[in-house]
Amino acid sequence: MSRGESNPPRSAIWLLRHACPGSHNPALTGDLVEEFHEGRSRGWFWKQVLIAIAVGLLGEIRQHWPHFSYAIAGMAMPAFLGKTIEVAPAFFHWWVLPWPWSQLVLEWSPDALLALAALPVLAAALVINGAFRWVSLLRTGMICLALIRLEHYLPDVLPWLLHPMAGNPHLRILIIPPAFAMLLFFSTFLVSAWLGCLSPRHANALEGQAKS
Amino acid sequence: MQKRTFLGEMELMVLLAVVRLGDEAYGVPISQELLNLAGREVAFGSIYAALDRLEQKRFVTSLLGDPTPERGGRAKRYFRVTPAGVRAVKMTRTALTNLWSGIPLMEGRRS
Repeated sequence: MSRGESNPPRSAIWLLRHACPGSHNPALTGDLVEEFHEGRSRGWFWKQVLIAIAVGLLGEIRQHWPHFSYAIAGMAMPAFLGKTIEVAPAFFHWWVLPWPWSQLVLEWSPDALLALAALPVLAAALVINGAFRWVSLLRTGMICLALIRLEHYLPDVLPWLLHPMAGNPHLRILIIPPAFAMLLFFSTFLVSAWLGCLSPRHANALEGQAKS
Repeated sequence: MQKRTFLGEMELMVLLAVVRLGDEAYGVPISQELLNLAGREVAFGSIYAALDRLEQKRFVTSLLGDPTPERGGRAKRYFRVTPAGVRAVKMTRTALTNLWSGIPLMEGRRS
């Protein structure tokens, strides 16, 4: 066995350390290394690492399922609301409002609708989990709105995402693979719920639910 | 009525392995115990996930041992069952025994 083969795969250990949720990762890594030195193969080691990551992620979803419910609901909202998002500013008669309110309503109301429309799902999930707090909902909605607004500045930060439109070189459009856009949206809602519901009391309540 | 906490299949098996191993209960012997006695090769990730849940339920406690070279300088984490864990095992056994009894098919008799 060469020197490389006698050591467990470093990339697998790195992956285990950085991508596997759980409080016992060093001990788990140590057990896998011990078994590897007892004669297990590199394939076995990789299999164990991948299973540990999958099991860890499933555990996280199980423990934080209200947050994931909110993220899934938020991701589905554009399809669910359809044209309502585009006409949202008209509900507030933005054109009769003085500046800067007109601008604010025109730009922010579609995003606010998106952020708020998924909140009942989070509220229901938190009620089921016995961890409902109005302040968590309010905070989640505000963080979500801020993050969605920030995404509008993505082309300014990453100009290479803009490509000239076919037939009109002066017009540039944002080109993001649909899967990436969905993932970005999902992450936005997930992070919002995570930050919004993050308080010692709330975390304890969620932990308590997971324990029971 | 007092709230009861029953154990899942994996949790029960891991907890019993921890009880059997006593002071030597860490990942590798637990895995070997499950393979030798239950005939199941369980991934280490699943064993630690079950141990995590058991620790959250306060059925086991854990403490770190000394780092050893054969583990790449990583310490073993030893698990020990708590009195609450022993009660949970007994409660689960009682529940399973009650369910088991009175079923002719399970007792080797034909209905």
